[in-house]
Amino acid sequence: MTMMEKEPQQPLSEWVTLISHDEFTFHILRSSANLSGTIRRMLDPKSGFKESVTGVCHFENISGTVLEKVCEYLYYKDRYQGMTNVPDLEIAPEVSLELALAADYLDCRAVACEGIMINVLI
Amino acid sequence: MSSRRQPNRIRGPHSALTDFLAANNISARQIRDDYENRVRAAQTENNADGNDNEEVEGGEDGEEAESAAQAAAEAAIARNRSRRQQQDAVLKARADKKKKAEKKATKSKKRKSKRGDSEDEDDSDFDITQDMYQKKKALPGQFENCELCEKRFTVTPYSKTGPDGGLVCGACGKDLDKESKGDKSAKKISGPVKRARKVESERMDGIVRYGPKPLVQTCIETMLKFSDSIESFDNTPEHLVTQICRLFTKHRVLNEDTFPLFLRSDMDRLQVYDCGKLKSKDFERIFAEIPKITHLALDNAYQFKDSSMDYMIEKAKNLTDIRIYGANLITSPQWSKFFKARGKKLKTVKLKWLDDSFADEQVADLVAHCPNLERLKLEFCWKLGSDAIDSIAGLRKLKHLSIRIMKPVENENLISMINAIGPRLETLSLRSFKDLDDSVLEAIHNSCTKLKKLRVADNDVATDSGWAALFTDWANIPLEFVDISEVRDIDNQNPEGPEEPIGVAGAGFAALMEHSGEKLRHINVSSCRHIPVETLLEVFALGATFPKLENVDLSFVQHIDDVALAGLFKAAPETLKKVALFGCFGVTTDVIVPHGVVVIGPPRIGVEEDGTMEIWGDTAMDDVPSAVQVAVEAQLGAEDDMDLD
Repeated sequence: MTMMEKEPQQPLSEWVTLISHDEFTFHILRSSANLSGTIRRMLDPKSGFKESVTGVCHFENISGTVLEKVCEYLYYKDRYQGMTNVPDLEIAPEVSLELALAADYLDCRAVACEGIMINVLI
Repeated sequence: MSSRRQPNRIRGPHSALTDFLAANNISARQIRDDYENRVRAAQTENNADGNDNEEVEGGEDGEEAESAAQAAAEAAIARNRSRRQQQDAVLKARADKKKKAEKKATKSKKRKSKRGDSEDEDDSDFDITQDMYQKKKALPGQFENCELCEKRFTVTPYSKTGPDGGLVCGACGKDLDKESKGDKSAKKISGPVKRARKVESERMDGIVRYGPKPLVQTCIETMLKFSDSIESFDNTPEHLVTQICRLFTKHRVLNEDTFPLFLRSDMDRLQVYDCGKLKSKDFERIFAEIPKITHLALDNAYQFKDSSMDYMIEKAKNLTDIRIYGANLITSPQWSKFFKARGKKLKTVKLKWLDDSFADEQVADLVAHCPNLERLKLEFCWKLGSDAIDSIAGLRKLKHLSIRIMKPVENENLISMINAIGPRLETLSLRSFKDLDDSVLEAIHNSCTKLKKLRVADNDVATDSGWAALFTDWANIPLEFVDISEVRDIDNQNPEGPEEPIGVAGAGFAALMEHSGEKLRHINVSSCRHIPVETLLEVFALGATFPKLENVDLSFVQHIDDVALAGLFKAAPETLKKVALFGCFGVTTDVIVPHGVVVIGPPRIGVEEDGTMEIWGDTAMDDVPSAVQVAVEAQLGAEDDMDLD
């Protein structure tokens, strides 16, 4: 942590890399990646995680197909944030459960919906 | 009558068989004629074949007979040929008719649109000639053979027409219906109409959605469509399983087949929000598969029977929280048995909709055997009365109490209960105690100091001065949740209400906000119609802040107007989510609703003059305070400026 603070501030790269456990690599925009709570915390320079220095995140329990869909969702979310009448994202049924687990882990919530989710579910 | 009109119709004696056949629309004569026709046709065929053979044999006979035989044979062949040709033509015509009938069935819609086509005209001619030879359609009450399954059935006015134009029986008719319905359901309504309806429906639930849905929710919704093919939820975190269970219930796909997915031995809690489709053996399965269960919630558990209860008593030894709604098949002794056996560990008991089985004695058993109970909810248990209230006073560790007793209860009983358990209570919900008066409020004032949630709803006795006395100089910590809805006088002879207002009015509301304003998250004062506009303006004046306020229900608070509402928006700018204003005619569309707030219920008045404003939260305003300021100014006199906007 202290080491990090002493280092001169480098401009953060615009792109980050996400790698699945079966070695599929996805380069996506940092701004989109930050929409996932978990990835944001991993990449946050203040956190001092290894990922924040290298800009590369390894996900040991997420497969390539699922991570691809996650990246698609992040871009989709980035595009439609704050808008109404958002079209639904199509998800293949065979990956839905695995994707739900990944989404839960990655904290892919729409920030504006946090309170609303509770309402929906109750 | 008809027999008298036809005097010549003389009949001979009938056999029972003839009567039976006539009654079943079977004509013996027709059968006989058909049979004879067939026999005759077969004979002529045989004769013709015989002639052919004769011809061959005749060649070997003498030449004298040859010419005569040949002539006869030729004539026979010609006859035979012409008959065969006739038969072929008839067969061909039948086949054509069948084909066209099929075509007609499949393309009937297309035909309707292309009625002018020449081909169709030909067809119609053909159809007419065919129709002439078709059997007359059976009338209702008669018998007919089904076109599809050939079974005999009684024709009714509702009998369906089959693909070939004949009638079909009930069973086949249903199948046809299903097929046609299947076609309809394939064309689901989608697009903007459905979406708009959903958005509107969600608004009523207090949901405003900006941006896309959370990914988890999208995934679960996909799973819902394929709920049959899910194998298991192993390795899925508990909270995710609970979410899935909720959405499964909401979309009514939680049934006997999908229920086992949620039974996981590694979990210790189970919440099923609608058990309507589950059977008693499913409930027993819960305790077989999750013996270490601690938290159990079953809503609409109609099939939870005594046998399931026995099984629960036997297996679920760690149960601490139990919520069972609507389990009417459990008998009273079984409840007592349960409390005796498993009462010591119980911390939460929530029971609702027990009509005939849960009586005062069971509450006494509950109190006697559940010394550690912290949370108790008893609603719509029709047999409970004052004795139950007396028993509850014995629960020394109780923190949360919600009761709704259907029988009349004396105030003395309530007061003694509140005096006994009040000091430890954090939640007190007294619903539908119609005769609850100021003396009970005074008891609450004197005993309770830790209340966070207070509900005294559906009452027509407690007065404004009683409420004001409760909230003035109350030693209790500030409340977070207040529900004083439906506290009002109902008298058709005196619609304005008595002089001394019933329910929260000016003094009571001001005292409430003064006491709890800083912590309040939820206020429900619907139907408290005597709150004057002066008090509302004073409470929601410029400068007042309610930093936690999220949910406000001011329905039927008649005197609220635009200025007071704008003041409310300003007083809770960050947190406010939902305001209900049903029947508030003082609110017009001049109020600008801040971004993220849902206002439901106000009558849309003045929309024609000023169509740009929406009271439904559509107008996204980034700068909330200034927007409110505009509204306040507009109401205070600058109405011309407002119209220009």
